[in-house]
Amino acid sequence: MRQQYARRSRVLAGALALFALAIVVQMTRIQNSPEADVFRQESENYAYEWRTFYPNRGEIYDRNGRLLAGEKIVYEIGVDLTVMTDAHAISYAVADALNLDYNQLMEVIQNPPEGISYIVLADYVDASEALYLQDLKKALNDQAPEGSVGGLTGLQFKSHPQRSYPENALGSNILGFVNREGKGYFGVEEKYDSLLAGNPVTVLVPTDPNKAFEIPHAPDGTTLILSINRDLQAAAEDILDTALGTYGARDGVIAVMDPQSGELLAIAVSRRMDLNQFWNYGAVYDSATEFNPVISKTYEPGSVIKILTMAAALDSNTVTPETTYLDTGSVLIGGVTIENWDKNPWGIQNMVGCLQHSLNVCMVHLSTQMGATTFYNYFDAFGFGHLTGVDLAWEAPGRLKVPGDEDWYPVDLGTNAFGQGVAVTPIQMMAAASSVANHGRMVIPHVLYAMVRDGRQYQVPEQFGATPISTQTADTLNNMLAVSLEDESSLALVPGYRVAGKTGTAQIPVNGIYDSEQTNTSFIGWGPVDDPQFMIYVWLERPTESPWGSETAAPVFSEMAQRTAVLLNIPPDWVRQKLVSK
Amino acid sequence: MNIPNVNFPNVNHLIHAYRVAPWRVQRQWIGNALLAVVVFAMVAALYLNVTSRTAIAGREIQDLTDAIASSQQVSSDMQTQLASLTSASAMEKRAREMGFRPVQPEELEYLVVPGYVAPEAVDLSSTIQPQLNALTIPPEYNQSLLDWMDERLVSRSIQ
Repeated sequence: MRQQYARRSRVLAGALALFALAIVVQMTRIQNSPEADVFRQESENYAYEWRTFYPNRGEIYDRNGRLLAGEKIVYEIGVDLTVMTDAHAISYAVADALNLDYNQLMEVIQNPPEGISYIVLADYVDASEALYLQDLKKALNDQAPEGSVGGLTGLQFKSHPQRSYPENALGSNILGFVNREGKGYFGVEEKYDSLLAGNPVTVLVPTDPNKAFEIPHAPDGTTLILSINRDLQAAAEDILDTALGTYGARDGVIAVMDPQSGELLAIAVSRRMDLNQFWNYGAVYDSATEFNPVISKTYEPGSVIKILTMAAALDSNTVTPETTYLDTGSVLIGGVTIENWDKNPWGIQNMVGCLQHSLNVCMVHLSTQMGATTFYNYFDAFGFGHLTGVDLAWEAPGRLKVPGDEDWYPVDLGTNAFGQGVAVTPIQMMAAASSVANHGRMVIPHVLYAMVRDGRQYQVPEQFGATPISTQTADTLNNMLAVSLEDESSLALVPGYRVAGKTGTAQIPVNGIYDSEQTNTSFIGWGPVDDPQFMIYVWLERPTESPWGSETAAPVFSEMAQRTAVLLNIPPDWVRQKLVSK
Repeated sequence: MNIPNVNFPNVNHLIHAYRVAPWRVQRQWIGNALLAVVVFAMVAALYLNVTSRTAIAGREIQDLTDAIASSQQVSSDMQTQLASLTSASAMEKRAREMGFRPVQPEELEYLVVPGYVAPEAVDLSSTIQPQLNALTIPPEYNQSLLDWMDERLVSRSIQ
């Protein structure tokens, strides 16, 4: 009996062992079959996925540490269709809170695309609105009967950062903006887009939730500190807005720069937009050049360019300040008669009188005395027709016609000397005039003061441009300009500060003919003359109260200079001289 | 009391019989098998325990990393809110409401303060050490035992 059981047991054990062996053999066979390789490859494809981590965009500060561009939290609001219980409640609540169309929301929720379990209802929702919906969802959940859920179950909130501009429209033309895809447009945001955006980090991430992986640290984008002074910018915009109303100008700009370093301190333009609503761009501007006319919009500058004609004449030893000439009121050049602004002769004038009375005939006299080659060599050295290199997007190079160009005529040698027939931007005028204020050396205008990366601040080194005129020429002309303003008791004078500068009144070419009534008025000046700390450029387009720069742009310069002196803590000349004498 | 007459050869025979008894051999086999099962179960339990703990630790690290990122977002948000509250227009409005007005140049008086140094532009340098981009979780916290063995085998085969 026992032997019988033993035999049965052995048979059973053998059968089981064979079965186990068969399983092992089958497992081994499956593991090594060609199909197994396919499955293995498939599983590896799904085991990991490439994921990109985007760094926070760098912030933008003014020179005093005031935040101009940062980030705020906004929300994406969506519905998880797998747990949603009441489409009507969700549609109604979201439509009511976010001012959306109820029927449209219902349509989206009830007819989702095939295979979709999560639908985005709204994105970039303000925190306050999202918080309201979150509170509502919680309240409905709390009030729901035991064993059931609230009507907003399935409504989900995902926070993410969005570019925000705390000063709204202030300095909008300098900053530019970032769209929802994170791309910078205009100004600093476009010029330094790659620096601000930082470098995204792409890593292979396991999809198995039980496999721990570390979220890589994507270093934040570089933070920028601008040379802009926020308070000065606000003052410039305030003065410009008032000036537009006072003089009936269509548009205008005021730019303030440190003429010794090229740091731009303020750039005010008349058309500004709230950067937090960048989608209104099309409603504010007709073209891209209007976003920041200081760097993008070219125009015939008129008499302000006489500073540079005189600089060229002095530097080439064509004249000295005491050189006289007989002003007959008109001069013929290239078959065209050029007249003074008042069409009157001014008799014998020296070079200070020439600047003081802004005589066109004198300028034609200077350019012809120099000759085209010398004159255009100087204007080329001043940077006309070239980019200044200002670190803002959309700079225009302007146009300087020179002998040999198809559209250059001999009369251009005369008209260019007093600012007609040459297209420049305000920033080009400032860069060129900085050679006079800065002992002959031009600066490269810029807005970037420093960069902060990984906790370290890197100062932007000083950069200078060409030296088109000698120190002696610059200092002589500096004094001539100051004297000419003082002698004519200009409205540009600044009480307590000696300033140098020049008005400009330029006719506007319309279809090739100069408009006899509308003008562009401007003034460029700097001070204090013995140690220039600010250079201000004012341009008013088509003022209706007066067509003259001396009556419109000059007083605006004076007001801006006074505010600049206060905000930059520049003591009056007598105080500084007293300090120096001690 | 009579003492039984002990026959030693018989005792040895009994002991031998006891040792080679089939049921005892079977028990030994069963015991060894059970021991192997227990050892295997212990190793498996240990492995499971260590693996689950490392997985939990990894998840906690991820959660903390998320929390840091979230805190940075909140910090940026609050900084922007603060900047809005102290914007040029907001400050001017508040100042005017409090009765202030812009100072006029003629109202200013400049005093000579010995040793005064005019403030330079802002310095936003931070004393916090920059975070390196390299992964900092040691492999013990994100590598399974099999991964570790695999890595050792691969490294050995390379050597």
